[in-house]
Amino acid sequence: MIPTLAGRLQTRLFLFLFIGVPVTLAFVFVLAGWKFDYDIAMPFLLFLVTITGLGLLLDPIYIFIQTTRWDRDWPFAYQFFFSWVEFGIVFAVARAGLIPWLPVSVEGQPAPLVDFSSSAAIGLATLHFACVFIPSFLALLGPMQAIFVRWRFKGGQFGKL
Amino acid sequence: MITFPVRFRVRQIGIDGNTMGSSRILLCEEPGAFLVGKTDDADVPLTGDAVSRRHMSIVLSAEDVRVRDEGSTNGTYVNGTRVAEQVLEVGDQVSIPGWLLELLAPAESAASATRIAGVEVDASLVSRLVITDDDAPPPSRRTFPEMEFAGKDIVGIEALRASGHPVEEVKFCAVGGGLGSFVWVDHLRCYGISASDIRAIGTEEVCYRTYQRYCKNSQIPDHERLRSNSLSRPDNIWGFPGYALREVGKGIGVKGIFQVFGEPTLSESYTPRAGDVFDSLDVEAKRIGWSEMFVKAQVLGLRKTSDGRYAVAYKLWGGEAQGEARNRYVIADVVHLATGYPATRFVDDFQTFITNHPDSRAQVANAYEPHDQMYIEAERRGGPVQVVVRGRGIVASRIIQRLHEARAKNPDIRILHSMRTPIGARDGAVFRKARRLVRNNVEIQPFNWPKSCWGGDLRVEYERAGEEDRGVMLSQLGGTTTAERSDWIAIAERGAEEGWYRPVYGNISDLQPLPSPGPEQPDGVQVSINTVEGNEEVLNADYLIDCTGLIADIRRSPFLADLLDTYHLPRNHGYRVTDQGPQKGGPTGLRCTNDFEIEGLRNNQGRVYAAGTITTGGPYLAVDSFLGLQYSAIRSVDHLVTERIHKVRNLGPLRSFGGWTKWMVGARP
Repeated sequence: MIPTLAGRLQTRLFLFLFIGVPVTLAFVFVLAGWKFDYDIAMPFLLFLVTITGLGLLLDPIYIFIQTTRWDRDWPFAYQFFFSWVEFGIVFAVARAGLIPWLPVSVEGQPAPLVDFSSSAAIGLATLHFACVFIPSFLALLGPMQAIFVRWRFKGGQFGKL
Repeated sequence: MITFPVRFRVRQIGIDGNTMGSSRILLCEEPGAFLVGKTDDADVPLTGDAVSRRHMSIVLSAEDVRVRDEGSTNGTYVNGTRVAEQVLEVGDQVSIPGWLLELLAPAESAASATRIAGVEVDASLVSRLVITDDDAPPPSRRTFPEMEFAGKDIVGIEALRASGHPVEEVKFCAVGGGLGSFVWVDHLRCYGISASDIRAIGTEEVCYRTYQRYCKNSQIPDHERLRSNSLSRPDNIWGFPGYALREVGKGIGVKGIFQVFGEPTLSESYTPRAGDVFDSLDVEAKRIGWSEMFVKAQVLGLRKTSDGRYAVAYKLWGGEAQGEARNRYVIADVVHLATGYPATRFVDDFQTFITNHPDSRAQVANAYEPHDQMYIEAERRGGPVQVVVRGRGIVASRIIQRLHEARAKNPDIRILHSMRTPIGARDGAVFRKARRLVRNNVEIQPFNWPKSCWGGDLRVEYERAGEEDRGVMLSQLGGTTTAERSDWIAIAERGAEEGWYRPVYGNISDLQPLPSPGPEQPDGVQVSINTVEGNEEVLNADYLIDCTGLIADIRRSPFLADLLDTYHLPRNHGYRVTDQGPQKGGPTGLRCTNDFEIEGLRNNQGRVYAAGTITTGGPYLAVDSFLGLQYSAIRSVDHLVTERIHKVRNLGPLRSFGGWTKWMVGARP
């Protein structure tokens, strides 16, 4: 990959909207027992929004790292690794209860439906993120180019050259 | 019918490309084959170091006059195109190194046949060179396409029709017929243009033939890997699925997928096999109907027409048509020029050596010319063989690998690797915060430009830069590099340890033939090097393989030279970075816009685009690569869409996906 900053931001938002959101909705649909449950869907969606937001903030740093590389590229392996780092950061901070919109159980209050501090959350959040990450990552490996024929020449940006 | 005697004007060409000395006339009075060359028994003895002993034959029959290359080292050219055998017409120019032969019109009468410019020529000198005085007859012009084209920058369609030559009209015409033309035509087809609206003109029926020849000569046979990316597929405008995935599908192996995942940092960069690239091009050629669009012909000229189009003059090669019927015009709304490397030139000292010491020609080779014989001889010969490999690029790496393979048959082959200076681990090129990796005194880069030149931030920055800044970036980011391949690194390291590979640093100051030390002993070549320590080191080698590349000069293509002169087209320039700032260097490629349009050729609604090496120094760095050809193609075809005058429809997401689906199932676009 040889993304530019604008390309990173645009592609990240695109993947969030067209893979992240639908996959999350499908995920919670199955999780809730083949029905839509707003209270289960919201925490997962917000969790994904948070990861995407963190990613948007980290993108300039990734671009800086690219400028120190002679080829100014971004190996697929880095993309893979840092995606999980982003997930790990958000999950750890959420678990500590430091992200107000991601629910954790507080002593003396009824436990929320989705509790990021619970032990079950590790497996569930990892499974959810894997479901979003795998198709997003595979899309970057080439299928994006089948739909957006100029995307690879624009460093991940959309539109004309 | 041929009228005898057939007359050629023979002129000697100096090293500067101009004619020198007096003209001579070659008279051939009867049918037959006349050998031209340096050997004593040649019918037409021509001297010169780059002339082969048996260089070519002039074959005369009652029907036609033709030239046939006799397997010469430096080739026989007709009107600037290298030929094996070619029928000549009056005015055709046959060139071999140092000589130009021009077929003259038949004499008006038998008496005047032997009178040239008023000088009576001895008729007994039939089929021999006849020296006339300096006042040779005025140069006969070729009648096609000069009759319609010469001295004009705009021609009328009526005049072309009146010429009697067949005139065809199409919308799109690709000139070149090689990979550049193919990729552009592939884009047009995938954008929905019908095959009947497109003509592609070139001298090779298979679009990758010339490329394949360069690969073979530089020791990349079909089973070896190229220096190209998995997603750079000239047969697929989307670049997906890449060659690595194709290998999985063909059962070749899954290693490529992991290479693509980790490259270039965690694994060696994946590169496709040459043969796989060619096979996939064959499949795509069939899918888009390349053979329906392709015309095997030599393009002789291009002119604007008075109705806002272009006339392309070409001469059919082969086929049924004979004589004047082979000369044709095609009128096109949009023309694409991708003529590739024009006649190529060697580096100066190498050229001087082969010019001065033709007998030692078998001892030296440029890596891009056929030189398999060297390896075969070195393998066959028992005892020590010393080979000097000059240069440090990717070709040198591959040549050294080939010599290493030859060592399996003759373990006494020693490699002396001549490089100008050593490069320390921290001496790699610097571009802002980044430094290029160095291994074994060679700069390492996966491809011939830093990756982001193809589609990352460097592409954007370079395109936006002014002429001078582009020149500076080009010189900072370019340079000779090789790919990081563990087998190549191992060869250099093991060879140095075991004593059969040795790098030698310094400028080559002299090349001299080394006479054979005794009967039955082969000749050699003496290479003198001014070493970096200030000493002179003399290497007595059996062979020298020069891997410093070829110099491309677009003016050496008669077609491009005519265009440059007729329309006063501007060219790009190279820049050197010096202490006083950037210094402008010599001219490079044709100047074109960011959409690869040659603005000087714009003709009302007519457009001319270019691609490939002839656009060097233009809006894109990696023009001479598979992906670069696709980039220039998509830019120029998108430009046609934006201008809305040639009815090319945009390739948006839906149409793109539809076209890709057709590619996947092999359906015609």
